[in-house]
Amino acid sequence: MNKYITAYYTDENDLIKGVKQIREKGHNILDVFTPFPVHGLDVALGMRRSRLTRVAFGGGAVGAIVGFGFQAWVFTKAYPLNFGGKPYLSVPSFIPVTFELAVLLAAFSMVIAFFIHFKLGPGAKTVVYDERCTDDRFLVLIDAENAEADEVKKIEKALSDAGAEGITYKE
Amino acid sequence: MQVLKVSLTKNRNISVMENNTFTLTKKLITICVAMIAVGIIAIAIGFATGVSGTRIVANLHLNNYYFVGMGLIGLFFVAVHAIAESGWQVSMQRIGEAMSVFIPVGGLLMLLVFLFGGMHALFEWTHEDHLDAILLKKVAFLNQPFFYIRFVVYFSGWILLAHLIRKTSRKLDLNGDVHYFNQLRKFSAIYVVFLAITSSTSAWDWLMSIDAHWFSTLYGWYVLSSMLVSGFSMIVIILFILKRMGYMSHVNNEHIHDMGKYMFGLSIFWAYLWFSQYMLIWYANIPEETIYFYERIKYFDTVFYLNLILNFAIPFLLLMARNSKRVFWILIPVAVVIFIGHWLDLYQLIMPGVVGQAEAGIGIVEIGTTIGYLGLFMLVVFYGLTKSSLVPKNHPFYKESLEYHTNY
Amino acid sequence: MYVSPIREPLIRGEKTYSQVTKDILAPMAGKPSKFWYMGITLAGIALLFGAWATYQTVYYGIGTWGLNKTVGWGWGITNFVWWVGIGHAGTFISAILLLFRQKWRTSINRSAEAMTLIAIACAGFFPLIHMGRLLLGFFIFPYPNTRALWVNFNSPLLWDVFAISTYFAVSLVFWYVGLVPDLGTVRDKAKGKIRKAIYGFLSFGWTGSAKHWSRHETISLILAGLAAPLVLSVHTIVSFDFATSVIPGWHTTIFPPYFVSGAVFSGFAMVLTLLIVARKALNLEEYITVNHIESMNKVIILTGSIVGIAYITEFFIAWYSGVEYEQYAFINRATGPYAWAYWIMMTCNVVTPQLFWFKKIRTSLVATFIISIFVNIGMWFERFVIVVTSLHRDFLPSSWTMYKPSLVEVGLYVGTFGLFFTLFLLFIRVFPVIAIAEVKSVLKSSGENQKHAHHE
Repeated sequence: MNKYITAYYTDENDLIKGVKQIREKGHNILDVFTPFPVHGLDVALGMRRSRLTRVAFGGGAVGAIVGFGFQAWVFTKAYPLNFGGKPYLSVPSFIPVTFELAVLLAAFSMVIAFFIHFKLGPGAKTVVYDERCTDDRFLVLIDAENAEADEVKKIEKALSDAGAEGITYKE
Repeated sequence: MQVLKVSLTKNRNISVMENNTFTLTKKLITICVAMIAVGIIAIAIGFATGVSGTRIVANLHLNNYYFVGMGLIGLFFVAVHAIAESGWQVSMQRIGEAMSVFIPVGGLLMLLVFLFGGMHALFEWTHEDHLDAILLKKVAFLNQPFFYIRFVVYFSGWILLAHLIRKTSRKLDLNGDVHYFNQLRKFSAIYVVFLAITSSTSAWDWLMSIDAHWFSTLYGWYVLSSMLVSGFSMIVIILFILKRMGYMSHVNNEHIHDMGKYMFGLSIFWAYLWFSQYMLIWYANIPEETIYFYERIKYFDTVFYLNLILNFAIPFLLLMARNSKRVFWILIPVAVVIFIGHWLDLYQLIMPGVVGQAEAGIGIVEIGTTIGYLGLFMLVVFYGLTKSSLVPKNHPFYKESLEYHTNY
Repeated sequence: MYVSPIREPLIRGEKTYSQVTKDILAPMAGKPSKFWYMGITLAGIALLFGAWATYQTVYYGIGTWGLNKTVGWGWGITNFVWWVGIGHAGTFISAILLLFRQKWRTSINRSAEAMTLIAIACAGFFPLIHMGRLLLGFFIFPYPNTRALWVNFNSPLLWDVFAISTYFAVSLVFWYVGLVPDLGTVRDKAKGKIRKAIYGFLSFGWTGSAKHWSRHETISLILAGLAAPLVLSVHTIVSFDFATSVIPGWHTTIFPPYFVSGAVFSGFAMVLTLLIVARKALNLEEYITVNHIESMNKVIILTGSIVGIAYITEFFIAWYSGVEYEQYAFINRATGPYAWAYWIMMTCNVVTPQLFWFKKIRTSLVATFIISIFVNIGMWFERFVIVVTSLHRDFLPSSWTMYKPSLVEVGLYVGTFGLFFTLFLLFIRVFPVIAIAEVKSVLKSSGENQKHAHHE
């Protein structure tokens, strides 16, 4: 992306109002950068609910099944041993490890999915539009790749109407 | 303080357009009385068809305990949130207060059962002439005078604190003075501490001493966790009924979501304690301990496994998703399942020891008595609800509760 | 979101967002203070003592310890349980308090979680060194081998392996996921090129995009939901090590929830001990306020009382059981040769936390600091009482004996303190000690300036 417009807010309530206003005018907001999670911003931006919970559920289910299955296999097929006269398939003593593996896989699958999906990771290369976004600025980013000059004007007008500061157009 | 007064008066001006006072209609009374009648008739049929007196007494004891527990947890709901300074629950705290009105009623019924033949039927240790060596060692604790003293201590503490908490809450409602709020928190703290001790000791008295030879240190907490789940589910059920009748429109999905989380989390907590107790006894395999589960698995196997399915598997699987905790059409069926499930949990705690496998069963007597008790409980709760406005408008956290919104 | 005016502000001093960033990053910049150097020197000395003791144990074997045939578990297991317990507070704060929407956790969760990770590392050291042959430690994991033998999944000691390693792994992920946005802040505020590159690498390319934040919140929440039962399971499984046996005083069903409560109890005491010093040393008094201390003290009363009720329950049921061995185990605890340990435990764990019912005491920093140390001591003695007094006199009077730790065992314990403080002191230099983004997210509703706005 070579052409874009940025503008920032210094208060999250103004940001939410502004974002709603800009979107109502039909301008597509590419992204918003904030120093902390702003409550209600995902709704204002029209994002759908995360599906990462399903990944966690899947991971947990796999962990539980593999954990239990493996223990059952070890004690009934691979190397049956008698411990304290307990049955080979002693379900209560398989519960702890089953539980731990379920939690482990649920947590790891979800976090890994998160980082892979957003291409984040150790040393990942990302563009920082404004270094103060991680400090005290709420930056709105609008794509102007195919925008004509008057379209750019319109966006800039919409941004300033919505109370944004520091409106910049970059080519 | 000056500033505070101003904002509290502001709170008062929020006008909520709804019916804030609950009226106990004729129709409601009729339904409840009819349910009570079903209970009485069921017991009569039981006697007529030759169901043993022991089994009927055991049933009465079960329901006494179950519904007194509901009342205790209703009050606990109010108290624990007051000391935790939480705000969201304020919108529905009247339900908890109303549930606590049942404590004296249940206590009276329990006392009647004990006085009129219950002690002998329920507790082996009261057969003073034929105590064995082990039970003789326990006489210092398991004797009737001390038993009744403890009974009086528990109920006078609970009833007194329930009365004080309700009274302070009502006073707080009149003028929103923070002084009453602090008083409410003080009584709540006393109640929570008192319940923490008495819930265990009363469970030993009324449930664990049925199998007088057997012992488990976790028992009291296990029973408390069962009471917590069923009590919180009961709050949801009453909330639903009130909403259907057109009250409580200020309670929204966010509040219901929180109650759903409680049902979900407490069900897991119950299962955790169940597993801890069962697994440790199973693993150590000491005969005098394992006999307890041996009896239950061998002769009460359906109830034993149903207990786990209804109280853990179903709430766990159905309430896991976020959305299912926010809608009544999932929450209410699960709450009913939990209600039945924890009734069964008590059943398997009481019946094997009192009635034994030969006579025990779930028939007209069991179902009928429970319907009767439910009717009585509901009648008392409805009566309790008429005592004060359904909307605690002047509670310092009332506005927080109304504007409450959460992402999770 | 509306917040009732009777709630006290969580963050003092009318902060702006950039002020928050500046305050929290301040301890990481510049040269460390004199106290920091003093601290790390002391910790280093303790660590050296531990290194010597480790060498003794590995070279000569655990014959260098004071253990004998009757008392096969001594300080090693006591320390293990104690350290794991301390770790529980971090997860409790970051997971369970998150689920209960306690906003005050935002100021303390980062450092408490760091403490958790370090404490688990200290704890994990003890079972490993207890094997004597550290190099064969990998035997505890199930891996395909030429003997075609798997580990014993019926053993609670093996459950521990899974519980502790899962706990460490998930805590580490939870902690780091929360740290990523703050490392982005550190990167963007970094002056030097190298510093920027290092934190750029560590920050995983965080930009603060709304999409990332939204999903970040989701995974934090689910991780909390997973970590909450996980933290319960860890000390539960540790308690299974004892409770699955048939030793009087060990085999009791209340152990799982009572161990968990005791763990959170001791963990909060350690968090208080650390933070009362750290908030002063790092100038973070406006973020970790007396209100935070008071809230933590309330958790101490709660968990301390649960522990107290559990002690009494155990004692009562031991009598009620009518089993003479059970009864003797408890009478021996209170009146036997180790009675002093029992009464230290009772005083520190049951009596002292009850002082927090008085508002004056729970809002006093000095009193809190002293009581927190008492609780730490008491909880160590609790494990000592459970491990040693139950073992030293069991079924066979001919095997009765006493146990006394050797210098090597003391050295190992002191060594883990060295490790703990070294790592904690490094942590406060390298990472932001308070979750910057999380504090900012509650600043609007719970900062002092916002409070004033509400009132006017």
